Formats: sequence, structure tokens, C-alpha cells
Amino acid sequence: MIERGISRDRLDILWLCVAAVGLVFFLRLVNLQILMHTYYRNIAEKNRTQILPQSAPRGRIYTRDSAAVAANKPSFSLIYFPGRLRSVDTMDKIAASLARRLSVPFEELRASLYKAVKKEAPMRLAENLSLKAMFSLSELKTLYEGIDIIVEARRYYPFGNYLSHLTGYISKMDAKEWAIYGKNKNYSMDSRVGKTGLEKKYEKNLKGKDGGIYLEVDARGKLNRILESRKWAPGADIYLTVDSKIQAAAEAGLKKSSTSRGAVVAIDPRSGAVLAIASMPDYDPNRFVSYSDEKTEDDFKELPEFNVAIQGTYPPGSIFKIVSAVAAFESGRLDPAEAFFCPGYYDAGSRVFKCWEKKGHGRMDFMQGLTHSCDVYFYNLGLKTGALNIEKYSRAFRLGMPTGIPLPDEKSGNVFGPSKRAARKSYWFIGDTLNLSIGQGELLVTPIQMAQMAAAVANGGVFWRPYYVERVVNSEGKDVFKGKPELLSKVVLKDSTWALIRDGLKQVVLEGTGRAAKINGVEVFGKTGTAQNPHGKDHAWFVAFARLPGEDSEIAVAVLVEYGEHGASSAAPIARDVIKAALRGKLPERREKSQGTGQRSEVRGQRSEVTAEDAGAEPPTAQSGLEELSVSTTAVLEEGR
Amino acid sequence: MIFTPSGGFKKNRVDWILFFTVIALLTLGSLAIFSSVAVLPQQARIIRTHLIAIPLGFAAFAVIWSLNYQIFQDQWKFVYGAALLILLGVLIFGVVDKGSRSWYHLSLFSVQPSEFARIALILVIANYLDKRITRIREFPVVLGAIFLSLPVFLLLIKQPDFSAVLITLPVVLIMLFAAGANFFHLSVILGYSFITALFPVLWTVITLNPELLESPVINYFFHLPDFGWNTLLFVAGVGAAAYLLWVLSVKLYSNISGMFFAGAAVVLVLGFFSGIMVKNQMKDYQQKRLKVFLSPESDPRGAGYNLLQARIAIGSGGLFGKGIFSGTQSRLGFVPERHTDFILAVIGEELGFWGTMLVMGLYVLILGRLKACAHLARDRFGYLVNCGIFGMFMVYFFINFGMLLGLSPVAGVPLPLLSYGGSNLVATLMALGLAQSIYARRYALV
Repeated sequence: MIERGISRDRLDILWLCVAAVGLVFFLRLVNLQILMHTYYRNIAEKNRTQILPQSAPRGRIYTRDSAAVAANKPSFSLIYFPGRLRSVDTMDKIAASLARRLSVPFEELRASLYKAVKKEAPMRLAENLSLKAMFSLSELKTLYEGIDIIVEARRYYPFGNYLSHLTGYISKMDAKEWAIYGKNKNYSMDSRVGKTGLEKKYEKNLKGKDGGIYLEVDARGKLNRILESRKWAPGADIYLTVDSKIQAAAEAGLKKSSTSRGAVVAIDPRSGAVLAIASMPDYDPNRFVSYSDEKTEDDFKELPEFNVAIQGTYPPGSIFKIVSAVAAFESGRLDPAEAFFCPGYYDAGSRVFKCWEKKGHGRMDFMQGLTHSCDVYFYNLGLKTGALNIEKYSRAFRLGMPTGIPLPDEKSGNVFGPSKRAARKSYWFIGDTLNLSIGQGELLVTPIQMAQMAAAVANGGVFWRPYYVERVVNSEGKDVFKGKPELLSKVVLKDSTWALIRDGLKQVVLEGTGRAAKINGVEVFGKTGTAQNPHGKDHAWFVAFARLPGEDSEIAVAVLVEYGEHGASSAAPIARDVIKAALRGKLPERREKSQGTGQRSEVRGQRSEVTAEDAGAEPPTAQSGLEELSVSTTAVLEEGR
Repeated sequence: MIFTPSGGFKKNRVDWILFFTVIALLTLGSLAIFSSVAVLPQQARIIRTHLIAIPLGFAAFAVIWSLNYQIFQDQWKFVYGAALLILLGVLIFGVVDKGSRSWYHLSLFSVQPSEFARIALILVIANYLDKRITRIREFPVVLGAIFLSLPVFLLLIKQPDFSAVLITLPVVLIMLFAAGANFFHLSVILGYSFITALFPVLWTVITLNPELLESPVINYFFHLPDFGWNTLLFVAGVGAAAYLLWVLSVKLYSNISGMFFAGAAVVLVLGFFSGIMVKNQMKDYQQKRLKVFLSPESDPRGAGYNLLQARIAIGSGGLFGKGIFSGTQSRLGFVPERHTDFILAVIGEELGFWGTMLVMGLYVLILGRLKACAHLARDRFGYLVNCGIFGMFMVYFFINFGMLLGLSPVAGVPLPLLSYGGSNLVATLMALGLAQSIYARRYALV
């Protein structure tokens, strides 16, 4: 080594520095590239992919006879990607030109654009574009990058108001719902979710799996290429037990009634399957599918979401006489042949209780009393039977208890009797007994409870839990869920009691107050009722069940017409239409038309305009047309991809 | 005479290990550059410049290698003058880019003179230290080396090109260190540089947190650069404090010399003034960089964002990388300056851990060979020049890797031989040619 006068240690110290720092770099690289690799890779993936979500078509809802109550149709949406052109000026310009074409306020569009840029996510600016709007917008696509039109499946309710309370509707999520659904990756902020009814209850099945187009974007958000196009999987279809014809008859009947308010529930007494469930006033669920604007906000406020069939509670009125009679004869306190005199009123000492027939019915035994719904007869019956017995049987008939139909917010109504009074540490008066025996007073029932009761009378005391979903079929054609009859309880009565009650109810329809429900060739059993309403006109009730001679009862129906005044005139004809729709195809041909109208003209309600054609009312659209519609929907969707 | 090979034609007149390491780094770098600029609109220009720079660099390498390096020691005044001249010329004829006047714009490409001035400075300082090696432990000699390089620094600050200063100043210090300078003297220089850097940083911190101004002391401090009575008061205060401390230490019978306190005061005051100078010279983007370093959240899409994206790129590469030409972070433009300062991010993303390890290994290999060359040098000048080149590579390596790995602040410092940048490439190959020239003539007798 040549003598330099320098210690060579100095360079070695520097070399050591390099080694030490190199070791630090090595450890740091190990941490970054090996230990934290997954973390950084995910960020990198997120950096470069922009997802354009495409919501899957929701599962369709069919009636028992395959009419689609809820389907989908293709809809075109305007999407904005925050791209390179994100200066305030450009966005204002885009918003201005869009506002002109879409008739959406400029400020709203601008706010959406700003939001999209801030969140770095695609944003729907408008949905459900008309064909005309689409053409004028496709020209914009070339002017501004980031604007695009996509096709999606959009919920569509072909029949509008039809069955609206059961199907429910879908709409944008509110904050509370987002907190729940947001956890699921399948939902995005602007996903629609079921708000009520089936749409809500079967949200999980109906939703399907959203697809999306995964786009590669560069740092400025400019679209580079399509990475992957993930196809959606449609949601599961629901088949209802509801029969479209019966439902149509029920809805048409309610609509034509004097007030167009009320409910009809039809149940199959053999299983508890709901054949029709109608509630008026109803609404068109199509209104809420569209993009939210001020108009729908208002619609929400006055939305008739109240489902009269399960949430409306009314005094049962005379239809409760069925229970009173069961109590009387089952307890053996009264001989059906024993007759009482009806002068048109009953003097209970402190107060006079009237019969609905002011003239009085004269001497009445049970058969006549039930047929003409004589209140005085039932006052006597109640006094003989005792209020406690009546209360016992009203509980046995599951009054004051929700029927258990799988729908939210069902009301339980209210039973009324001495034991209930005692529990509340209050007194029971004789007047209460009289009120109870004709179904007035504090007694409250829902239409579906009455339908369940009618079904129980028809099938010999079996209480089924009403169900309305026959099966849920997923997109692969497999059954995800199958509706099954579920026994709730059974009332065991003597055969003689059943026979007596059924004979009486048959007589009601044949010659009594329920004549408006008479159908030739069908054994119809029914009972009218009038629920006293202190706030206005009385509510009209009619419960019935029907069978072909020699067969089991096929349908039990409860009709309530709010403010309909008389069960005989406003409720019974609806029940008749519903029963006819249920037994269609099994009835003896013709003849019936002239007789039907003839009979109806005798009825007090003067509903001569109702004809047999109306009774067998068709659902709003022909079956074949519906299928065509759904087929073309899928075809367009396929094409749109 | 110049081209006379010294020591006869020995087999290993070229350090083949170093040579092939350079080739490997250049290949790797070219691949990364081509991959990262593939989607850029200016890709044609970049590739063209790069393809011009490589042969130019090798030509420079060959020429310098064949020259006897001792000629630079003989002609040190010429070398020094040329360096000052090109730096001066760029202030007059240069073009402004990103706020700095540091480029000569030629028809085919641009030239950055500071890269070449650095090599020249290494030669000049090596000569200076070689001549005064017996007195290296005296402070005036150390100070002399600083004063010799001061014109270069002042011209660089004038451009302003702080990243060039950031590389060059440590190189000078490393050479002093390698020559055997006193630790204390070096620390005085370091302290001075530290204070020079500290004052602008402190003022930037105060501008970032205006609520600090409510304190009168800080308010006073903040207004020091205004050059009023308070500035004079500050200087006098520093002097008085140093004097009082000296008196105190004498009273305590400590044997710290008075020179220490005087020196400390002078360093502080000088550092203060140069700090003011640096602050006034700083361009907006440089102040912004400083701010981002001090509080990264102040500019989420600025320098902090860039650094984060580069780190994501490296991390997402994993063990084997995404494959060359398929890095998403770099090719889609998330990593900024990806063909220059952040080239390592591209390699890390596309070639993975093995890629970065390879780069690091090649760098360490170069450094090792430079160290070996230094030890083999036949004279002190050659040794010192090699130390300077070693220091230059070391500083580049530390700062660039450290920046990408989040261990040092963001600075516009490339990775020589990997990053795109013609001047840097040519200058680096020149420096390596110098090292080879020293290596090749290791056996020759003086």
C-alpha cells in the first residue's frame, strides 16, 4: 500500500454506514413488500378500479295462477363518472346542458356532480329516461367524457294498485335502513329496498346479486379499459297462494262499493292459504320506484299504507252472533227450539236495547233469529248463556289474538267480557252482556280474524295460520322456501252444534239477510253484520264460506266495507263475487245470470248494476300479455349488456 | 503522454465487476423507464433522449477512462473555472423549468450543468485536500475546502437547485471525513448547515401554525428576517450569551477554551444569516414541499399523496411483482415522476421484492467496488477522488431509497443509472470512468 498519510479506516467507517443503512432498507422492504403486501395490493386494486354497479332484477312475484304482480322492465339511467373534466366550470356546464334535457333543476344536478367528484364514485344523475331524452343525451356523451347511459332492470308492477298492500313497494334507503343493509356488500347507497309488504319481508330473497362493470381508470379517473363485467344473478321469484281472479273480484267489489273503503280477506279453510287479501284505499307502488323528486316526497306523506285487512279493528257486529250461538248451544244453556218474542226492543230495566228491525220480528227461535239476525233473540240468548261463556268461546275462536299471518304490524283486536273487566278491576253490567251477545261494545276484530273464524266454522273448528307464500324459487329453479299449513288451535264442539250453526248460516243466505250472496249450485253460508260506528256511518260486515254440494268448503271470506252501513247490501254482494271467482269453472253453466241479477234487485242496497260478468272479473291484464312482457324485458336486458 | 497506458497492458485494466453492474443497472433502468412512460404522451421524446444519453454516457466513460486522471489534478484550476463557468452560464442562458433556471436547452436535449459541476468539485476538492493532507486536522484547511466549494453552492442556490446542494454538500463533507478531518471541525460545519436549514424550517412551522404568533417570543423570532433593530438585537444577544457562558465556565474552572464559545456564536449567527438567505431564495413549490414534509395532511393530493402512491406501488408488488410492463400504479399514473425520482417504485411494483433487492444489491456492489478502487489507487488524489464518487453514490442511494421507503423527506433526487435523466446519466458514467481510470492506473509508478 502506498503511503498516503491517511488512515484507511475512514472509508471503512463509511462502508459500515452503507451496510447499516442497507440493512434498514432491507428490513423496511421486507415489511413493505412481503408483510404488508396484501394491504398495499388491495389499495392498488381499489385505486385503479371503478365499479359501475348494475342492480340485479328483483325476483318477480306471481299469484297462484301465474299472473306477475311484480316484474321488471329495462330502464335507462344516466351515469356520471368523475373523470378528468372536474373543474367547477365544466361541471356547471354539464349540469346546465343536462338540466335543459332532463327537466331536473340545475342546482340538484350540480350538487350530484360535486358529490360524485368528492366521493370519487360514479353517480346516477337520472333514472328511467324516456326514449326521447335518451337520444338527446347520447349526443352529450360524445361532448363530455364521464357521462354515460346504462341499462338496468327496474321494478315494475304491471297492475298498478293491484294487491299493493301485500306486495308493498321498494324505494331508496333511509339512514336507518342503510345502517342495516349497508353491511351487506350487495347494497350500495342508491340501492332500492323493500319498504313494506312482501318486498320488505322477502327482501333477502328478492334482491338477487348485483352485477357490475369493473373499469380500469388511470390516476385522473379517465377510463382505460373494462377489466371484468360481472353478471348479476336475478332474485328469487315468489309464488303466492293468492289467486289473481279472486283478488281481482275482491278489489273490484271493494272499489264499486258505496265508499270504496274496506277490506276483503279470503282464506282456504282447508289450509289457511290466503286466496285474496284486499285493502282500500290502496296505492300504486310504481310511484316509488322512480328517482326521488319532490313529487314522490309528497306522495310518501299521504300514502295509504294502512292495511285495513290486518290493521283495521272494528266491532264485529252481528257476525259475532256465530260465536254467541256456539257458546249458547255448546254450554247447553239454551234449546235451539226455544223462542223469544221480539217487539223491536228489549227492556233491560235501566235502559232499552233496540233490535235493528224497529217493527220487531215477532216470535223467533234460533233458526229464525239467526236468519233475520234478530237482536232481541240474541239478547235473550246472551242472558241465558251468560257473558262468561261467550267470552270463553270468543277466546276459543281466537279473537283478541293476531292470526299470525306473516305480515308486519298485525293488530290483535280486543276481546271483551266479565273476566277481562275483572282483570281491569271494573264492573260488569247487564247491558254489557246484551252488547256482547250481538257483537257490539268494546269488542274489536280485524277482517282477517273474521275470515279465519269463518274458515274455522267451515272446516269444523280448525284454526290455521294464514299464509300467502306458496313457494320461493331461486334463479336456479330451486325452492328456497315452501309455504305450509300451520295448525294454530282447534275448537272442539259437538257435531250437533256445528250442524245447527251451519244450517243457520245457510239459511241466512237462502232467505235471510245474506240473500245477496246467494249463488245457484253452490252452498253458501254467511252472516251479515253492522258495526256501530259512533263517528259516522256504520261499517258493513259479511263473513261467508262456500262449498259445492257434497264437498269440503273451498273458501271462507270476510268482507268489511267501511261506512257501508248495511252488511246485507254493501258487503254481501262482494262476498258473492269473490266466492264465484273462487269456484269459477266448477259452477253450473249460465241460467244463473238472470237469477243472480233478479235476486240482487230485491236487496235493499240497490246494486242492480252489478252483473254476473263483473262477478267473475278478469284480472286487469290478460295472462299471455304478461308473460310476453316479462320475456321481452329479459330480452332487452340481455341485449343491453 | 496523456493516452499512454501506465503500468503496461495488464489483463484487468477494467474493473469488469463494476462495469457489468453498471450494465445491469442500466438495463433494469431502461426497462423500467420504457414501462413507465409507455402511456405518457411525451414517451417518444423521453425514449429518444434516453437512447441518446446512453451512448453519450459510455463515450464519456471511455474517454475519461483512457485519460490519465492525474491530468485533472494538474489542471485543477481549469476544471474549477469550467465548473463555475457552466453554472454561471446557466443563470444567463438557461431556461426556467419548475421555477428553477438550471437547464441549458439544446436542440436535441437539455443539459443540467450542476451534474457536471459536482464531478468537477470532487476533483478540485480532492486536489485541495491532497495538497494539504499534512495539515488536515487544522480548522483553516477544513474551512478552506468549504470556501472552495462555496461559489458552487451559491450558484446552485441562485438557480435555485436545492436537491443539487443536498447531494453536493454531503459529498464534500464525506471527502473531508475520508481525508481525516477532525470530527469537531466537521461537526462545526455540520452544525452550521443544520442551523442554516433549521431557520427556514422553524419559520415554516410558524406560518403553518399562526396561533403560535401570540407568544411574544415566537412573534419576535418570526420577524427576525425583516432586518430591523430586532435582528441586530438578536446578533448582540447571541454574542452576549456566548460571552456570559464563557465567563461562567471560567468561574467553574472548566478548561473549555474561549474559542469554543466564540465559534458557537459565530456559527449560530452565520447559520442564521444563511438561513434567511435560503428562505428568501426558496421557490413556492419548495416551500410547499417543506410544508408537506412538516404536516403531510396539509396537502393530501400533493407531495404526501405522491409519496403514498409510490409506497403503495412498492408494497403492491409483493415478492415477485406484477410483471414487467404490467404495474398498475405506475402505468396508470398514480405514481408521479415515475421515470425519474420514483423509478424504484416502478421496479418494486413490476419486479417485486426480488427486483428491489437486486437494485439494492447492485448499488452495494458498486459502492463496494468504488471502495476497493479507492484502496487500490496509486496516489492520494486518486484515493480522494474515489472517496468523492463513493460519497456521491452513497448519498443518492440513501436519499432516494429513504424517501421512497418513508424514512427521509421528499426530495427530487434521482437514482443514478436507473432514473431517466440524460445529464445525470452522462455525469454518473463520467464519474465511474474516473474511478476506472484510477483503477486502471493503480500499478503505475509516479
